[in-house]
Amino acid sequence: MSRRDFVSLVGATVALAGLSACVREPAEKILPYVDGGPDATPGAPLHFATSMTLDGYATGLLVTSHGGRPTKIEGNPEHPASLGAAGVFEQASVLQLYDPDRARYVQTGKRRGSWRTLSQEFSPATLRAHTGVRGAGLALLLAPTASPLISTMLDNVRNTYPDARTYFHDPLLNTGAAQSAIDTLGDSVIPQHDFRNADVIVSLGADFCAAGPFNLRYARDFGTRRRASGSGTNTLYVAECAPSPTGTLADHRIAASPATLGRIASALLQAMSADARFAGRVPANTLRGDTASNTLTAAERAWVKAAAADLAAHPGHGVVIAGPQQPAELHSIVHALNAITGNTGNTGSTVRYTKSQLIGDRDATHDLAALNTAIQAGGIDTLLILDGNPVYSAPADVPFRDAVGHVRNSVYLGLYNNETAKESKWMLPAAHYLESWGDGRAYDGTASLVQPLIAPLYGGRTVAEFLALIAGQSGISAHDLLQRSWRGHAAGSFGPWWDQTLARGVIADTAAPSTVTAIRWDSIGAAHAKLTVPVAPEQISMRFVPSPAVHDGQFANNGWLQELPHPITKLTWDNAAMLGAAFAERLGVARGDEVELKLRGRSLRVPALIVPGHANDVITLALGYGRAGAEGTARGVGSNANLIRTSSAPFTDVGVTVTRTGAHRDLAITQEHWSLEGRGDAILGVAEASAQSASKQPQPVPPTRKRRPLTLYEPPAPSADGFGADQWAMVIDLNTCTGCNACVVACQAENNIPVVGRESVLKSREMQWMRIDRYVEGQLDDPQVSVQPMLCQQCEKAPCEYVCPVDATVHSDDGLNEMIYNRCVGTRFCSNNCPYKVRRFNWFDYNGEIAETERMVKNPEVTIRSRGVMEKCTFCVQRIRSAQIDAQLANEPRTGPVVTACQQTCPTGAIIFGSLTDPSSEVVRLREDPRCFSALDSLGTVPRVRYLARDRADEVLAEVETPDERREG
Amino acid sequence: MTTTAVDSVAQSQAARDAVEEFPVVYDVPDDAALTDQILSPIWTRSRAWWPLFIVSGLLAVLFIYAMGVTFVRGIGSWGNNVPVAWAWGITDFVWWIGIGHAGTFISAFLILLNQRWRASINRFAESMTLFALVNASLFPILHLGRPWFFYWLIPYPATMGVWPNFKSSLPWDVAAVSTYFTVSLLFWYLGLVPDLAAARDRAPGITRRRIYGIFALGWRGSSQEWRHYRVAYTLLAGLATPLVISVHSIVSLDFAITQLPGWHSTIFPPYFVVGAIYSGLAMVLMLILPARRIFHLKDIITEAHLSNLAKLMLVTGSMLAYSYLCEAFVSWYSGDPFEYYTSFVARPLGPYAIIFWLMLCANILTPQLFWWKRMRTNTVVLFGASLLVFAGMWCERFIIIVGSLNRDFLPSSWHFYAPSWVDISLLAGSMGLFCFLFLAFLRWVPMVALSEVKRLHLDMRKERQPVKVRAADGAAS
Repeated sequence: MSRRDFVSLVGATVALAGLSACVREPAEKILPYVDGGPDATPGAPLHFATSMTLDGYATGLLVTSHGGRPTKIEGNPEHPASLGAAGVFEQASVLQLYDPDRARYVQTGKRRGSWRTLSQEFSPATLRAHTGVRGAGLALLLAPTASPLISTMLDNVRNTYPDARTYFHDPLLNTGAAQSAIDTLGDSVIPQHDFRNADVIVSLGADFCAAGPFNLRYARDFGTRRRASGSGTNTLYVAECAPSPTGTLADHRIAASPATLGRIASALLQAMSADARFAGRVPANTLRGDTASNTLTAAERAWVKAAAADLAAHPGHGVVIAGPQQPAELHSIVHALNAITGNTGNTGSTVRYTKSQLIGDRDATHDLAALNTAIQAGGIDTLLILDGNPVYSAPADVPFRDAVGHVRNSVYLGLYNNETAKESKWMLPAAHYLESWGDGRAYDGTASLVQPLIAPLYGGRTVAEFLALIAGQSGISAHDLLQRSWRGHAAGSFGPWWDQTLARGVIADTAAPSTVTAIRWDSIGAAHAKLTVPVAPEQISMRFVPSPAVHDGQFANNGWLQELPHPITKLTWDNAAMLGAAFAERLGVARGDEVELKLRGRSLRVPALIVPGHANDVITLALGYGRAGAEGTARGVGSNANLIRTSSAPFTDVGVTVTRTGAHRDLAITQEHWSLEGRGDAILGVAEASAQSASKQPQPVPPTRKRRPLTLYEPPAPSADGFGADQWAMVIDLNTCTGCNACVVACQAENNIPVVGRESVLKSREMQWMRIDRYVEGQLDDPQVSVQPMLCQQCEKAPCEYVCPVDATVHSDDGLNEMIYNRCVGTRFCSNNCPYKVRRFNWFDYNGEIAETERMVKNPEVTIRSRGVMEKCTFCVQRIRSAQIDAQLANEPRTGPVVTACQQTCPTGAIIFGSLTDPSSEVVRLREDPRCFSALDSLGTVPRVRYLARDRADEVLAEVETPDERREG
Repeated sequence: MTTTAVDSVAQSQAARDAVEEFPVVYDVPDDAALTDQILSPIWTRSRAWWPLFIVSGLLAVLFIYAMGVTFVRGIGSWGNNVPVAWAWGITDFVWWIGIGHAGTFISAFLILLNQRWRASINRFAESMTLFALVNASLFPILHLGRPWFFYWLIPYPATMGVWPNFKSSLPWDVAAVSTYFTVSLLFWYLGLVPDLAAARDRAPGITRRRIYGIFALGWRGSSQEWRHYRVAYTLLAGLATPLVISVHSIVSLDFAITQLPGWHSTIFPPYFVVGAIYSGLAMVLMLILPARRIFHLKDIITEAHLSNLAKLMLVTGSMLAYSYLCEAFVSWYSGDPFEYYTSFVARPLGPYAIIFWLMLCANILTPQLFWWKRMRTNTVVLFGASLLVFAGMWCERFIIIVGSLNRDFLPSSWHFYAPSWVDISLLAGSMGLFCFLFLAFLRWVPMVALSEVKRLHLDMRKERQPVKVRAADGAAS
């Protein structure tokens, strides 16, 4: 192919891409985030504020739009749940928008309908005729939500059909947590944590930095605090069953099975109540018997002792937090612990309570089981399932599939023709949130708006629109519904307020106020008693957890997420029975051995996966897999944990039996090797200044860190004409990197990285430019887990460059190791000589195989790579060049701050990027930090990416142990 | 130079007698009978030829099919991955090119070193070189991500003014292999000219006479032609000899210039050259042993040849063993933990340990047999040993390439490599193509350098060396 042919082909491709992506602007006025307005430069990307709802809570986002196509999702810096960060689900949701498997038509059975016929079919008159004048035969099933608009619409529906019944279902919602708040605090409140002020954090099964509501904000606060110099850092104690991103950051982590975790919590409460400093805070005789600590091992006792001492030493400056899926009793103990240590109330500054924001989170009588009972009892004529996928996610003891069949008329409004759609009479395509008008509330109560970036691709409607339709308001658009519901909120004139709020995305001053609570000690005593009841030792526990990749299954058709390695196990495209090493040895299973899990008479076959640091006598299985809908990507991936999950114990159950079936299943794991092979110092560096040491004085940098390789040639100096005026560099702080994968998805979205599929991952051909390496040292049951984001190190003496026979990878004057895709012939010599193995190769024409709609997600600033060429991290060169052009146009002497995609989204802010020639840049400062090192320094590659070594305080715990305890252990 | 060579032969008679345990040629009736014997396979086909030709042809078709899959679907149809970005394909390349070394070594190197026993087997060796090079040169092109741009590795005056990167060893690789192929082809063809003329003169039927006549380039056998021929041949030998050293040295730089543990080594050029000649000698033995039997060439390819080849294998095998030792020693002595791990943990105990130990046994233990004279002349032992070395040297390249790449610096990127069916088909297919070409060679080209053997015969008569008459039983077998 000649160059001319190539150029014309590329031209044609771009033109075609343009055709497929013809602008589909929403009908109503949408407003960009930064002032650009309607006169913005054509072709230049715009950013729009919107928000995405997950598990009922909204996270504010900034969406990049190229010519009317949303392409990239970042966090909204003004939104309290984001502060500029976006998690994996938020970021990957843009791919969901363009998913070719999305439902496209209003369908009833095999017949296609239209919204017009539907609005007649479901008009109040027709509905009343079928369900009674007061709508007694009408049932609605929604996901718990905090959206004020949906709440208003729901009220309208209830006014129209006063006897209609409303049910809520979210497979991840733990009614236990809500129940605990009512029991112990007397109100349905939720705790709000402030990690900025927390000196001591004790997490009981909470992965607060990477999962659960508000995790982006919590991670940011935690990271900011941990990096803050001068004030000393915080100490994190984590007791958890399976290692989590938060657990890898812990100063003191301990693996605990669900039963042990309960005992640890009660032992901690016991220790705190016994502390002289808190005398009298716990009423006498509340905690009866102290059997709890006796059944703990020496290591667990040491952990409890250390955590208790630390919490007591920092009254009012600690946080005790329980995981959202933990049982009610554990939440109660945590409420008590925060109360005792004064973290709540007037003295404390770290934990406060607000009213719960969700509608339906405490309706135990309005859950899926209740709906099922109501349907079996008869009397429900029309069932409206709005969002969710309850047929798939229903617990095994709720035969919801049959129940839907019993109803005369059933409607499913959803994104996909999934399991629920198959059972329903009507399938209505839902609008993706990027196509919708709406609103939502964050965990702290702050309201934000949802504005569409694009007109609905498949004519989908939102839940609010459908509720309006059945309430007889079918003529009103969602935009108008939204404006109506907020009209009263504007202080002055509504127009300017609306424009301002829409552009910024956040509705100011809507955070929920704190409520004053008082602990009911009797219920604490009951919880304590329940947790200290010894469990029969032969009982094996079973945990059901949300998948860090596909959540509850709603993202199962998303290739980016399916291929996202599990933060700890690095498993992709699958779920597995995760278990501890000692337990696995006892069972005689190895990685990939198929096991049969029998729980309450139901069984499921899944492959086993040994996870270092996983508690023993317990199996952890992720939800969200084993989908059987019409979605091409999701179908047949993994096993459906809902088939053995029951409504009585949706997250933790006991009495599971595990047997080997003799079969073996290959697991697509991107990093199979745990061990550092004694190379820890070369790879992860050595932290010279311990976090616990009193002096935070910068120590002299050891000469080896400053060493430059011998060379005959001086590095080129920046010249007057701007040559090499900037020297780009990155520093990654391993002290605050959780390994949560947000950067991996950010990179995938920004740089048009293809999805390769399970078979290719099995062959080690994944394409993500950024990966999170995970290493394990020490005992397999109590290991030290380390994570390290690994991307192109942009070596100054790049080994890849001199071996390329065609000069397809060369150095730029501003210090980038550049890939020239159209010069690459694909010898792969560069990859062989890369000590970090960060180069990725297009083994097939991955980008040529994607659906027409998925092409619309591609970032036009970044070249689409063809088959047979090498690619790798570019330091987001498109962002650097764009900033340089802006600086030149504005006659600025210096290129403005450049933010790489990974840096922009990092929830903890662990990635810092900047120019070495800018003396004020943080990168320059951090490179002088004694903890700063380059990976594989001895090779002399002089990487531009440096790391700040992890401070570990694990030795401190050993000091706390008394000699006799050590003897017992 | 030729006369000097002949003189020296006479002068060093005594020394030669001591070295040569066996005569390099048994008495043959006369030159005409010799010509008839050598040319007879061209005119009369043996019964086994067609089935062999068809089987190898089918394998060659498999080769083409696998190449087609690689071109159409992409290099992803191979088993390669990251970290093992080079694997089976480059192993095949290095292996084939190594095999291709023995031909030029025997024909050119030994000419300069005055080893006259080379005359009977140099045609085999050169043909083998050529066909091995055909295979070897295909693999790097197949191996490219975008093979249609392979010419970007060649320094040609492009409009854009872009050149290959001369710091990389790959453009040099292209140059070295293509030069070697060109010189080998010329050398082979030049040596063939007098024999093609002989074939022309004896060909039954006008068509074959014409065809051989065209390829004989009008050779008449005049003394002037012979004089020019000898000079050109010796000059080409002089040109080809450094290539034997340079080609595999440059190939070895594909590995040695990197910093990968197991590749990053200064010993690689001689180590690779020795290994290449070693594997090539094994291949020569594997080819001449059956040919000698089938075509009754025992008078021309005598125990002397077998014994000498065996001795050379012993020498090169020992040098290879020394190289292994050096590599291991330096890995330990350097104190580099990565090198140490590769040499002493990853290779002997890692996922490819079986192949590593197979390589060591096959390449180091096997030639030790050749300390014994009886082993050096036992055709069964020779064939078996050659087969082992042939396989062992493939294992060596596999261990060097895959065994180093699959476990490098960061344990996070370590990954196992397994070949795909395309990889296996390409190796089997390339062997098929090799056999196909070699069978075609046996069928249509004089398999022994007639003129050289006749000259050797003449030389020996001149020396009045009593030509030993083979024992009757030996001649019959």
